[in-house]
Amino acid sequence: MRLSLAQRFGAVVLAVVVLAAVWSQLAGFDPVLGVAPQAANLGPSLAHPLGTDHLGREVITRLAAACGAFVFPGLLAVTLCGALAVPLGALAGWAGGSVERFVRAMLGTVASIPPLVLALLLCSAWGNSHTHLALAAAIAYMPTFAEAVFARIATLRQAEFLVAARAYGLSEWRIVWRHLIVAACGPTIARQGLLLFSEYLVLETTLSYLGGFGVQEPMPSWGNMITFEWGRGNLAPLAAPVIALWLTLLALAWLAHGAAEERSHV
Amino acid sequence: MTDAAASSGAPQALGRALLRVVGFALTIAGAALLLLTLMHAAPGDAIDQLPNGDALRPVLEREWLLDRPLWEQVLAHFSRAAQGDLGVSLVVRPGATVLEVMSAPLLRSATWVAASIALSLAWGATLAAATSRRSRAAGRFVEIASVPPVFLVAHLAVNGLNAGAWRLMQADLITRPSWFALPDEASWLRTTLAIVVLALGSGALSRTHLAVRTALLELRHASFIDAARARGEDTRPLIARHLIAPLAHLTAERVAAHVAGLIILERVLLLNGAGSLFWRASLERDWPLALGLALAAATGVAATRLACDGVRVLADPREREVSG
Repeated sequence: MRLSLAQRFGAVVLAVVVLAAVWSQLAGFDPVLGVAPQAANLGPSLAHPLGTDHLGREVITRLAAACGAFVFPGLLAVTLCGALAVPLGALAGWAGGSVERFVRAMLGTVASIPPLVLALLLCSAWGNSHTHLALAAAIAYMPTFAEAVFARIATLRQAEFLVAARAYGLSEWRIVWRHLIVAACGPTIARQGLLLFSEYLVLETTLSYLGGFGVQEPMPSWGNMITFEWGRGNLAPLAAPVIALWLTLLALAWLAHGAAEERSHV
Repeated sequence: MTDAAASSGAPQALGRALLRVVGFALTIAGAALLLLTLMHAAPGDAIDQLPNGDALRPVLEREWLLDRPLWEQVLAHFSRAAQGDLGVSLVVRPGATVLEVMSAPLLRSATWVAASIALSLAWGATLAAATSRRSRAAGRFVEIASVPPVFLVAHLAVNGLNAGAWRLMQADLITRPSWFALPDEASWLRTTLAIVVLALGSGALSRTHLAVRTALLELRHASFIDAARARGEDTRPLIARHLIAPLAHLTAERVAAHVAGLIILERVLLLNGAGSLFWRASLERDWPLALGLALAAATGVAATRLACDGVRVLADPREREVSG
């Protein structure tokens, strides 16, 4: 597989974000420990690569620690959603008929609830936590994910290689799992996973930016870093999360396109 | 078509339309069931939100059926909602019915969502028509501009406008504009800004651009377009007519994202619509109001999808064959 320049850029950005999230967990980031009023609003320098915020906290440390706020819950959302959507989409695509109609009607019902509405209701009723937000994202994105898997399997239902596999005496289960889900739907699943991860990042940063839900100060999130530093006259602490968010979303979008192109070659 | 075929086609079309309406009703019922179950299964209950909840608990528990099993609560709530009784607001406007509180903001928000969808389709289609013969660079550029989430685009736009106007005022180049300073004062500019940002941010523009560009490329290589060109006909009206179905499909796909985006923008730009009301209801745990607004959003999304399905069937003969 040959990656394009955009996909290589996407892979590098995503790797940096994931490494930063792992570092934030391993290093045991303490949001209060870095407060140093005497070092407030310092510009970028060798000692402080992205400067400090108005409380004297290292912007680069908070930027890296904020990755933990969306990487692990985002992966949880992708796992939960995949675990629900892939079997449902495969069932509808393979079985067809009334099973397909029932599953797709069910997915249409869930899809009629806007994702943010579901996320806010869930966080309001069940409590504001990463797990609930990941659960809401997984439920809300499930119809799109499952429809993509369904569409892929439905187009391959009568393919010649499946007729050959049946002729060889392979079981239905093995055909669906090995030949359809793993081999034919791999790129589709990868693309949907990347898109859901990107949706989760948007959801988390949006809620943290608006306040009330999501990550609350002093814990860092790219969303609350933008709110917290606006209007304090210091550019670096504000520009850093804006650029990081923009680049990460672009990286995820380009990687997802790459997965879609890969699918068209399968 | 013979008279016999025409007369048998009409009842068939009516039957299909009826099936779609039943499907729509079932979708709303399913969404209501899902939301009610999620809310009723949550720890705590609506009485916790009342200032004198402890004293009123025995009476309200009986009245609101909170002492009954979950399935009975959901069923009772569902039957009341089906009759148009969505309950009473507990915190936002205590005592007022949910329908009373949400009807006017809902109408405003629905107008904004419709305007943003129309704008997104219009400029996505225009951009796609202008760039369909160019390389992928145009698509990349649109993507870079459109990928930031709506809250970020709105934040940058509002603060950029404010900072720019302030500098011009300081330099005595302009007097204070009527809309200054966003978002503290009500103005037409904030509403326009919300509609524009909604049509641009969170990938709205890039997805429209991509979908229309793909449809245009397919249409330009279609045999019926070649045939029309060979006959010397103007192919533009034909292409425009065949774009209706993909645009309807795109609208059906994107409407939920536009509704979600508006909730955020109403908060960022302090607009007085159903989105900011929903945010407040969720934050202050006014669950009857939050649930009523969530159901209204689900109904709006499902109704738009039903309408888009209808448009697709009317616009595309292949869709008519499939649904037949």
